[in-house]
Amino acid sequence: MGNRLLTVLAATTALVALAAAADAKTVVRMMHQGDPGWVALYGKVAERFEAANPDVDIELIYAPHDAYNEKFSSAVMSKQLPDIMELDAPFLANYVWSGYLKPLKSYIDQDLLDDMTASNVAQGTYPIDKDLYAIGLTDSSVVLYGNRKYLEAIGARIPKSVDDAWTRAEFEDYLGKLAKLDGVKWPIDTFRGYGIKTEWVTYAYQPILNSFGCDLIDRTTWTATGTLDSKACVDALSMMQTWVKNGWVVPMSSGTNQFYAEGEPAALAWGGHWFYAEAAAKMKDDVVVMPLPKFGDKSASPDGTWIWAITSQSEHPDIAGKFLSFLLKDKDYRDYAVSQSAYPGLKSFAAQSPLYAEGGPLAVAFEQASKVAVPRPPHPAYPAITSAFMQAVDQIFNGEDAQKTLTAAAAKIDEDIADNDGYPPFGGN
Amino acid sequence: MSALTTVPKQRRRSVIARVGWSRFLQEIGMLAPAVGLMTIFLITPFLLSFWTAMTNQPLVPRPTPVRFIGFNNFIRILNDGLFWTSLWNVTRFTLWVLPIQCGFAFLTALLLNRKMPFRNLYRGMFFLPAITSMVVVCVIWGTLFQYPTGPLNHVVGVLSGGRIQPIDWLGDPNWAMLSMVLLSAWQAYGFQMIIYLAGLQGIPDELYDAARIDGAGRWGRFWHVTMPGLRPTHVFVLVITTIQAFKLYTQVAILTQGGPKSSTETVVHYMVRSGFEEQKLGYASAVSVILFLIVLVIALVQRRLMRRFDV
Repeated sequence: MGNRLLTVLAATTALVALAAAADAKTVVRMMHQGDPGWVALYGKVAERFEAANPDVDIELIYAPHDAYNEKFSSAVMSKQLPDIMELDAPFLANYVWSGYLKPLKSYIDQDLLDDMTASNVAQGTYPIDKDLYAIGLTDSSVVLYGNRKYLEAIGARIPKSVDDAWTRAEFEDYLGKLAKLDGVKWPIDTFRGYGIKTEWVTYAYQPILNSFGCDLIDRTTWTATGTLDSKACVDALSMMQTWVKNGWVVPMSSGTNQFYAEGEPAALAWGGHWFYAEAAAKMKDDVVVMPLPKFGDKSASPDGTWIWAITSQSEHPDIAGKFLSFLLKDKDYRDYAVSQSAYPGLKSFAAQSPLYAEGGPLAVAFEQASKVAVPRPPHPAYPAITSAFMQAVDQIFNGEDAQKTLTAAAAKIDEDIADNDGYPPFGGN
Repeated sequence: MSALTTVPKQRRRSVIARVGWSRFLQEIGMLAPAVGLMTIFLITPFLLSFWTAMTNQPLVPRPTPVRFIGFNNFIRILNDGLFWTSLWNVTRFTLWVLPIQCGFAFLTALLLNRKMPFRNLYRGMFFLPAITSMVVVCVIWGTLFQYPTGPLNHVVGVLSGGRIQPIDWLGDPNWAMLSMVLLSAWQAYGFQMIIYLAGLQGIPDELYDAARIDGAGRWGRFWHVTMPGLRPTHVFVLVITTIQAFKLYTQVAILTQGGPKSSTETVVHYMVRSGFEEQKLGYASAVSVILFLIVLVIALVQRRLMRRFDV
């Protein structure tokens, strides 16, 4: 009886071992976020890659957008870092500083590296060693969308390029006029519906600070106090607080589609380039794309998007790089990106993106990015910076005093930097 | 359980003298698995978290060293206005949710304890929200709460004949917590209802019969038989609901992320935020220790109450 059991056990073990040997593929794990369309697409690209490389198994790990950093942290803690990870560009400095990523140049096809636009190189580069740690097909920008019918009704001037963007006076004048216009429920949607704890807040509003002549943090001394709580920043956020108080901004609980929803209740939209595809599908030629307004002396726009990196724990960085190169050149990936009005980060992809070409509807976004884009602070304290800023924006939009709130936020950022001994080798503090 | 049983008082003697060695060892042996598991899964983690709370331990390894910083985290927490806001918020939440949730649970239990056709079907239906996942409930209520055109606002508009303007349930600092209360009470009352039902069924019929013979009416029977008979149940439900309410997190994380204007920030949400978003594990551990102490105090106070009611 006992013997028979042993034999069976031994046989099973042998079988399992055999199966494992026959199945000994190199597993490359890739962690990513994205809407269902992207998720499905990555699955298909992985299948194609596996068909071409039968000894490789690509394992996709999906993490939802808003909990991505939390999910990533738990992967680090359990020493289960994937080989490839998607990351949001402003967090790159923190990840490299913490030692999670590998320099990537030697693993990616040279023609892709040569193909990167300057902004793409910038978002993937770590400022300390100036090495490239991530690559993407795309970059991003935010523009001001307008509803042609409403703009014509109030006789608004429609700017054609960054140089003749609306000034603050014009912009606020139009907001006031739109508020009184029939059919307009809210003059502008700034996508508060994305939530209060989402990177969107910092990404979309930092240009307003920059245009006012201030910033989230001083980028040479790496101190927030004196910058984030300066008069210019207080003025910028007080201005936005007034918009909200006037009822000009779509409230958080009304969803993120008020620009093109039934009846088109929002006249303007402070929206990402990706919003164009949705809006244009619903409103056709009524969508006007304009540069972000110039509040102070200069214009500013955001940049940076989700890009791909190879982690330091990867045992097969060469295969990971091979897959990344495969993905970035994949035709379906690029076609799908075009359908999502993706902002090109590779020169060859720009040629495939008529939306952004000279005369295309999003050409102004491209012009904006090449002339006035300001990246978010490339510093390992960025998670603390963005967290404090989001919190401050929520407080201020709901009526809290801007000066008091920004002073507290700046103190919180500086406290984090001090707690980490100034994040050596970053200087300052 | 019942208030009627009386335990005969025994003179204290050594356990071993009373039961003998072999029986004593047997009892220790039976206790061991439970004690062992509690030590591994409850006591050790708690001691560890107390230790972590005294350091600047980050969530994930960083190039900067981990240091022992004594009570610095605690001092910082107690000096953080947001922590006090979150504590006030959960207190507010608890004070609102207790009467609504327990009251509703009590009423439905009274209703469902009566003899009527399809009683079990109704019981199942009333219990349904409690077995629905909180995440699902939140997503559904999120749609109901939509501003300005959500179903709930529509109902309010129709009922008030259009006199009440649409309410921004989740986006208005004055309303957000109340919306959490409504949703949470609706989701969770089923559990308290079941406990009340059990309590009601634990009251012997003879007591009602005796009361009836004594000439007590409906109200008399309710006040003098049902209510005293339910005393331990009331206390138990209060304790459970309070502790649950203090740990408010899921609803907030899904629907408001602590906003607007920190009006729905709760202690647990504050802890998760500092631990996972800001990656300060030591700090978050300190918050958890404070939360533990608060819940412990509440539980002790309520235990005293239970003693007084002879439970």
